[in-house]
Amino acid sequence: MKRQFLKAGMAGLLLTGILSHTAWSQSDPTGKRRVTETYAITNATIFASPGQEGTKGTVLFRDGVILGVGANLQLPKEAQVIPGDSLFIYPGFIDGAGMAGITKPKDPERPKDFVSSAPPDEIAGITPWRSITDQFSISASQVDDWRKAGFTISQILPDGGMIPGKASILVLGNPGTVNVLSENSALATNFRGSRGMYPATAVGVMAKFRNVYQNTTLALDHSKLYASAAGVSRPEVTPTQTAMSAVVQKQIPVVFTAASDLEVRRALALQKELGFRLILAGLENYESVIDLIKSTGTPVLIKLEIPDDKAIKSQKADSASTATKAQYDRVKEAYDKALKQASLLEKAGVPFGFSTMDTKPGDALKAIQTMVKNGLSEKAALAALTVNPAQILGINRVAGTIEKGKMANFVISNDSLFKESAQIKHVVADGYVFDYEVKKKTPKDNGKSDNGTVKVEGLWEYTSETPAGSSGGELTIAKEGDDYSGTITYDDPSGGGKVSAPIKNVAVTGKTITFEFDVNAGGNNLTVTITGEISGTSMEGTMSVAQFGSFPLSAKLTTPGLTF
Amino acid sequence: MKKLNFIFAALLGMGLNYSQAQTPKGSVLIKNATVLTVTKGNLENADVLVQDGIIKQVGQNLSAPSGVQTIDASGKYLMPGIIDAHSHVALDVVNEASAPIVAEVRMKDMVNPYEIGIYRALAGGVTISHAMHGSANVVGGQNATLKHRWGSTDPADIIMQDAPRTIKFALGENPTRVHGRGNNIQPRTRMGVEAVLRNGFNEALQYKKSWESYNAAKGQKGNTVAPPVFNERLQTLAEILDGKIIIHCHSYRADEIYMLINVAKDFGITKLVFQHTNEGFKVAPEIAEYTMGASVFADWWAYKMEVYYSTAFNAAILQKNGVITSINSDSAELIRHLYHEAAKTQRYGGLTDEEALSMITINPAKQLGIDDKVGSIEVGKQADLVIFEGHPLSSYAVPQMTFVDGVKYFDIKADKDDQRQFVSATEMVEPVYLHTEEDHQCLQDVDAYFEAFQGAFLDEKH
Repeated sequence: MKRQFLKAGMAGLLLTGILSHTAWSQSDPTGKRRVTETYAITNATIFASPGQEGTKGTVLFRDGVILGVGANLQLPKEAQVIPGDSLFIYPGFIDGAGMAGITKPKDPERPKDFVSSAPPDEIAGITPWRSITDQFSISASQVDDWRKAGFTISQILPDGGMIPGKASILVLGNPGTVNVLSENSALATNFRGSRGMYPATAVGVMAKFRNVYQNTTLALDHSKLYASAAGVSRPEVTPTQTAMSAVVQKQIPVVFTAASDLEVRRALALQKELGFRLILAGLENYESVIDLIKSTGTPVLIKLEIPDDKAIKSQKADSASTATKAQYDRVKEAYDKALKQASLLEKAGVPFGFSTMDTKPGDALKAIQTMVKNGLSEKAALAALTVNPAQILGINRVAGTIEKGKMANFVISNDSLFKESAQIKHVVADGYVFDYEVKKKTPKDNGKSDNGTVKVEGLWEYTSETPAGSSGGELTIAKEGDDYSGTITYDDPSGGGKVSAPIKNVAVTGKTITFEFDVNAGGNNLTVTITGEISGTSMEGTMSVAQFGSFPLSAKLTTPGLTF
Repeated sequence: MKKLNFIFAALLGMGLNYSQAQTPKGSVLIKNATVLTVTKGNLENADVLVQDGIIKQVGQNLSAPSGVQTIDASGKYLMPGIIDAHSHVALDVVNEASAPIVAEVRMKDMVNPYEIGIYRALAGGVTISHAMHGSANVVGGQNATLKHRWGSTDPADIIMQDAPRTIKFALGENPTRVHGRGNNIQPRTRMGVEAVLRNGFNEALQYKKSWESYNAAKGQKGNTVAPPVFNERLQTLAEILDGKIIIHCHSYRADEIYMLINVAKDFGITKLVFQHTNEGFKVAPEIAEYTMGASVFADWWAYKMEVYYSTAFNAAILQKNGVITSINSDSAELIRHLYHEAAKTQRYGGLTDEEALSMITINPAKQLGIDDKVGSIEVGKQADLVIFEGHPLSSYAVPQMTFVDGVKYFDIKADKDDQRQFVSATEMVEPVYLHTEEDHQCLQDVDAYFEAFQGAFLDEKH
């Protein structure tokens, strides 16, 4: 990373020959200041905007602004030249709704007089006053992961309850600052209920959203009356209402996370009823609402992910009955249709963008390539990564294409982005150049190689925090060939002692392990999913049960390298 | 057709789905059936002509206008679509259990048109179900009356838009357990339930008054009255008091049934239906005199303390006392054979065919306020119809075809092994089972409230 910069630094030292370590540490104690802010990437193939043919030329930029694009540019002396002869330059990708680099604020203590039927807003997940800029760290590893995937701008959404707070549009550039492009650019909202208190479910969330919205309108009316007439009672505007004002006055949109077509309809129903500006984000299943999205003109940010093919791969057609085979076919059909959805949006003429929330940066390019393989045009794919989100976020004046005067945000690859062999070699964000070394692919490497994959085999002891208190048990993981297996023990739901269950669908990628196990609770089969980040012999992660939510989990590897 | 609609919609500058979506209406002539009209006797060898979703003629030797399909139902029975006054099918969320009163939540927000339970209900001849909020709260959410237009992806298409509003109430053990025992707030006892109701209605009266004062003052010159806080919970309770919403109250014991009748009298509420009502037979005259009736199980009880004093004669006793009585399912399984459930009133109470059938047709229609539109085979009514092989009250009855608005949504001859509308791309083929065989769905989604007692994974369901 930042190799170019280091090289330039060395050259600078040699040339001037007078700068001593102590000398530059006075004005820049970190030693990280760049020698030059001017760069030229020469003789590269430039794809200036979606749909445009690649042309050979040079891109010159200074202080994060493109000074020129073309074949015969006059390069200033201070420009650091990056030879781009074999490289392809695309506009930097823009993420419409992401969550990279944020830390969710701790939930506040419950007050002594806490009543779950009428909890304070802050505890019930209604915190519209929170701003993502207070929660974001540009140096977080996820930020670099997303930049490595080509993303130079991201509208970062806060994490939390139904109204977790305000998003900001950030440039993933200078690692030393926050890089705000637009602060409090949108209000984040979702259908997540607050566990064990009002509103607990999606139906409660919708009612509560109406309530918050209507009362903000009334609070504004009240304040207006107070300002214009004597004898009016003092308006008591709550922090929630103060923070919601910008939404009610339609200064900023609501980014509503809506994964399914039914959630899309619910968000649109609220929008129609209340009249706020709406952006839909995180769409996964939306084929049946494409017409509705189009007719309402609602901007959409679809999830940058293709469905998991585990269900299809695990089909055992040989031993299955005819009826089961028919069901297998339907799953396959559903899978194929899911891959085609993005192309249907294109056909309908909906200029969509992507959201990276809950997706893996390492799979982003593959997801796009898969969409292209399934009918999405390369032009529309690139538009969804650049000009469309720029338009949706209202930053198209400065971002989305490679043009003189726009922000110096580029994705630089060794090949066309839509080829499987494409690898992103450099990313320029806000004029900062980041180098991402391209590892040579070995033929054996199927993404399952031990390179960079942590060892998970052994005996782990875990604890998890659930609303019912702390619980824990043992987890054993063994590796057989390329596959993992094992068992987990947990507190018996019917009380008394521990029971154990085999773990399944174990996947280890990089430092992350995910697996599932089944719990039988009163005749109902619940699947528990565990996701953990491993560092050394400890694991931090979550344990989640559909409909019940997810709980923090931590584990220690007590006996490594167990073999069976 | 659809394309044309879309072009029209685009021309008018509005979305197809945004305008009041036109639900499919069918035309069909069903010939030579034994027509069980429910309200106007039985007609042998009779024909029913449906045009554009409406029953146009009932009689003999009718002929089909051109383009209208004829179905020969010789030897078969034709009855009105079965109506289930208590169901939770096709709802993504059943309980917002977090507060004793949640009148503001709307089940219409949570309708899921993909749920296979709709198709299974159609296969049992059920064309309308009352998709209710659960029974965790004294005042639950507002319910949705659904028409089983299977195949639509838009929830609005399966909501019966011309049905009046209804709301769920619940008395007894469920609300006292969830809130009193579970969260240590009112109501902990049956007295508490009554207090919650009376407080709620009194607050609603004050709320309504504060808005009336504000609205009157708002336009005046020099107004100093500030807007009151908006509260849809109290707004909805006020609308109940204004007679705009029908109460459907989960209840078992006679004393609590009588309590709610008294509360209703005190607040001038007349639109009231009791659900479950296992001890209804003890207060049948009172229910008959003051309410829109009772919707009961044929024979289901003893699943908790308050449901032990029960009898299979309940429905018959209520009926004989002049109570509008219906038989419901409250279950994704029972909803498939409500005609069996209705037939039990003949074994236990000796009701006539017409009385028994009315318990799953015109009576629930009355309780939902839709009896002018559905619930019997009469000219002018919506053509929700079922063709049965065998008399519907026979043990051997098998529904053959089910129509909603004259459109056939179930045909036993076209019944595929896998009728799912929506298949997940990422889930393995799941074993097919009918969940909740033993359980009511009334307390779906409230598990979180019992965790303090039972640990993270729970087993108690009803």
